[in-house]
Amino acid sequence: MGILLFITVLLIAACGLIYELIAGTLASYLLGDSVLQFSTIIGCYLFAMGIGSALSRYIHRGLAYRFVWIELLLGVIGGFSSALLFLAFAYSQGFQILMYALVVVIGTLVGLEIPILMRIVRERYHFRDVVAHVLTFDYLGALGASLLFPILLVPYLGLVRSAMLFGLVNVAVALWSTFLFARQLPSTHALRAVCVVLICALAAGLSQAKRITAVAEDNIYADEIIFARDTRYQHIVLTRFKDDIRLFLNSHLQFSSRDEYRYHEALIHPGLSAVPAPRRVLVLGGGDGLAVREILKYPQVESVTLVDLDPEMTRLFSTHPMLLGLNQKSFQSPRVHIINADAFPWVDSNTDSFDFIVIDFPDPTNYALGKLYTTAFYKAAARHLSAQGLMVVQSTSPMFARDSYWCIVETLKQAGLHTYPYHVYVPSFGEWGFVIASAHEYVTPTLLPTGLRFVAVDGLPAMFQFPPDMSPIPMPPNRLNDQVLVRAYDQDWKDISH
Amino acid sequence: MRVSRRKFLHAGSAALVGLSVKGDRPIAGSFVNDSFQLGHKLRDRSSFPVARSVEKRAVVIVGGGIAGLSAAWRLHKRDFKDFVLLEMNEQAGGNSRWGENEITAYPWGAHYIPVPGPKATYVRELLEEFGVLRGAVWEERFLCFTPQDRLFLYGRWQEGIEPAIGLSANDREQFQRLEDCIHTFRESGEFTIPMERGLSSHSADLDRIPFNDWLQSQGMNSKLLKWYMNYCCRDDYGALASDTSAWAGIHYFASRDPDEKGPITWPEGNGWIVKRLLERVGAFVRTGQMAHRIAKRGSGCSVFSGETEYQAEFVIFAAPTFLAPYLVEGMAPLHDFEYSPWLTANLTLDRLPANHGADATWDNVVMDSPTLGYVDAMHQTLLSRVERTVWTFYWALAERPPAVNRQSLLDKDWSYWKEAILHDLERVHPDIRRCVSRIDIMRFGHAMARPRPGAIFSAERRKLASLNSRLLFANSDLSGFSIFEEAQYRGVRAAEKVLDILGGRS
Repeated sequence: MGILLFITVLLIAACGLIYELIAGTLASYLLGDSVLQFSTIIGCYLFAMGIGSALSRYIHRGLAYRFVWIELLLGVIGGFSSALLFLAFAYSQGFQILMYALVVVIGTLVGLEIPILMRIVRERYHFRDVVAHVLTFDYLGALGASLLFPILLVPYLGLVRSAMLFGLVNVAVALWSTFLFARQLPSTHALRAVCVVLICALAAGLSQAKRITAVAEDNIYADEIIFARDTRYQHIVLTRFKDDIRLFLNSHLQFSSRDEYRYHEALIHPGLSAVPAPRRVLVLGGGDGLAVREILKYPQVESVTLVDLDPEMTRLFSTHPMLLGLNQKSFQSPRVHIINADAFPWVDSNTDSFDFIVIDFPDPTNYALGKLYTTAFYKAAARHLSAQGLMVVQSTSPMFARDSYWCIVETLKQAGLHTYPYHVYVPSFGEWGFVIASAHEYVTPTLLPTGLRFVAVDGLPAMFQFPPDMSPIPMPPNRLNDQVLVRAYDQDWKDISH
Repeated sequence: MRVSRRKFLHAGSAALVGLSVKGDRPIAGSFVNDSFQLGHKLRDRSSFPVARSVEKRAVVIVGGGIAGLSAAWRLHKRDFKDFVLLEMNEQAGGNSRWGENEITAYPWGAHYIPVPGPKATYVRELLEEFGVLRGAVWEERFLCFTPQDRLFLYGRWQEGIEPAIGLSANDREQFQRLEDCIHTFRESGEFTIPMERGLSSHSADLDRIPFNDWLQSQGMNSKLLKWYMNYCCRDDYGALASDTSAWAGIHYFASRDPDEKGPITWPEGNGWIVKRLLERVGAFVRTGQMAHRIAKRGSGCSVFSGETEYQAEFVIFAAPTFLAPYLVEGMAPLHDFEYSPWLTANLTLDRLPANHGADATWDNVVMDSPTLGYVDAMHQTLLSRVERTVWTFYWALAERPPAVNRQSLLDKDWSYWKEAILHDLERVHPDIRRCVSRIDIMRFGHAMARPRPGAIFSAERRKLASLNSRLLFANSDLSGFSIFEEAQYRGVRAAEKVLDILGGRS
């Protein structure tokens, strides 16, 4: 019996420490400042253990019975603690209160365990041996848990399942104690039944843990997710908060319906209005149909060719009722032709010419996207420009990614084009930049389509002026064999976030 | 249906065994393009058919690698058409041969050209003709895309192949000192491409000692530096630094100082150049035609191939020079020509291995591997997303004497090499077996000339390279080492010599 008893001590010590580590880790993940989180949680936990130890003196009779119940309570509270905390963070304001409450309750119960256990076994051993053995195994359990936690539990099980696994251990200890201390217990049937019920509950929790974290993480996205899909090319997420719809591609914000008109009006009209009699327009990227919506405001435009890589994206924006309201069913216009193809090879192999070309790709966050911002690409695109043609390029933020912005301008210049950089303010993005490029001189238009909400003739000259904090800086061009832009972009955003 | 207990147990245990075996997929493949059988026929002086027909040509080119094709290119460009090129293999291209499957074209050997310096005038002329160099600007699409290369060391990938992480102050000092030495050698103007243009007896001493000894004599003993030097010698010469002439080791670095970020490369490697050359001179190229005897005949030569005797005024011998004594009547055996055996493999990947945050690159090298790593044939794609690819795996068998390695190339079967390759790749791509569906392997017994100490200033080599008989030797091995630029230079030079004598007559 001796060794079984001490293994019990080892296990319950491990469980207690795991709950404490989980609370600390979770708080660090979700709230940050790990030093503060771990310090306060360890402090509360040890203090609560003291409370538990102090309370143990008020327990006089039925020690074994109470020990089993303590284990059961610990199993269920500790086991579900991590799932509860995740959900609390996602759905309530009371995360911290709940967390410290859980730490105190668990700490108190753990504080009760050892004194009661020592009293249960004190008749069988010398006091000297009891203290030595129990504390030895207590600390051994703690060592085991503290090694297991970072090496195996966190990487392979995650926090929610680790807690449930150790909840199961606590309940298993309870079940086993009903055999170990059978003689000291009044009736074991009821207790064992409770044990079995809790084991089932925790096992169920263990199998559903993924769903629990998914539910919680959904809510951490801040707004309701109305659409999420992993396509062959990207992860598309649409969120809605009241009347604000937002599109995220690979977790990068693409637009917010509240201010996207600023972005898309600025992308299209300064350029397109300056082209005399534009008939054919090409859009590269822009699978949301919002740029096309602006282009369709020109009755003289006969055809709009949109080349976007992802058929799921153009299908979504051709069919989703909420999105059709946004892009005003632009993809259903008979003037619009959608081609799902990779832009660079398409531009290389196609021979059509266009009066206006819109290049609206995601920011150059990796070398694959960076290829679409090179001298080689701009040269290939410029071959499609008609004699009067203009090209406009979305070019990241001249404020937050100043090096990147001017690198794109330089790249267009090296591709043999005249460049006309401009910028606007889009609240959900901040200062945003574009470049008009052409083989001839560009003059700002004097007439714009009616009904625009943001771009106005009077406001145009100001867009082309850059204040000192966004003014040009010398940058090398971005080339296929020397993609300086991706590095610059990475550095620009690092500088902001650190 | 009644199932007996025995059957049930059998089925059950089979299922258990099936579950416990790792779910690796079968990998197809074979040896391809073997040519040693043909070579051994020559070596063993097998009997060849008697000539039944005679064909008269002013020039016969033997060997359709870069040297032979370049000779043909120059003859053709000067409007000289009375020639024929005989290639032993079914495919021309030599070390620049290539393959193609439903995913991409891929190289079987040479896969890039460093951006040529101003002295490599013939290479520049060729690349200008092919649209790689326009005006003074290199076409971006043919330059290796970012990110170019990476090295796996200390359990992670670093950018670039020269070790850059985990260097001690001592390591850094030695790398810097080496760079300074190389700079001085470069400034001397003696280390050029083509090598003949700069070669000077000033540096003859360097050719007498191994590169390793020279490094030692300069107090360069850093482990990282020595690894890198060994890697470079294996990469360009198929030999360890201890088996390479110090002159050649220095030449690798001192001969190049590109003004543009390169190298120049294509999915099929230098096969792209072979394709362009064949577009021009393909009509003169006869593949599957092994020359088996070359004999003096009057003032010219006869080349015997199959049942044909080609009577020529000039023979340009562009095949590897070590074959010459087996073909040319009365030619003495050679002593100064040694070659490194190589193995290359093309791996078809139906899916890409996990990269764990590191950007996939064109050239991928693993420190302390006996192999040279792999090159991704899809790297030069303009697609924004790649789902399948072909990797070309390079292995210069440098660790033991060439003859021993040649024997093991012949002795070991395909599965042996397949496993060796997968083991090597598994160190950096644990999931590689789940990605690869096919591995084809090509064995080269005499892949490239090995510049042993003494090879560069060898009297034998210089005599054969001198182009003063009716039999003109043009293989790159006459430079002491096998690189594209040297092969092309020697091919063009041989053609020009012929044209000078024949006066551009066609």
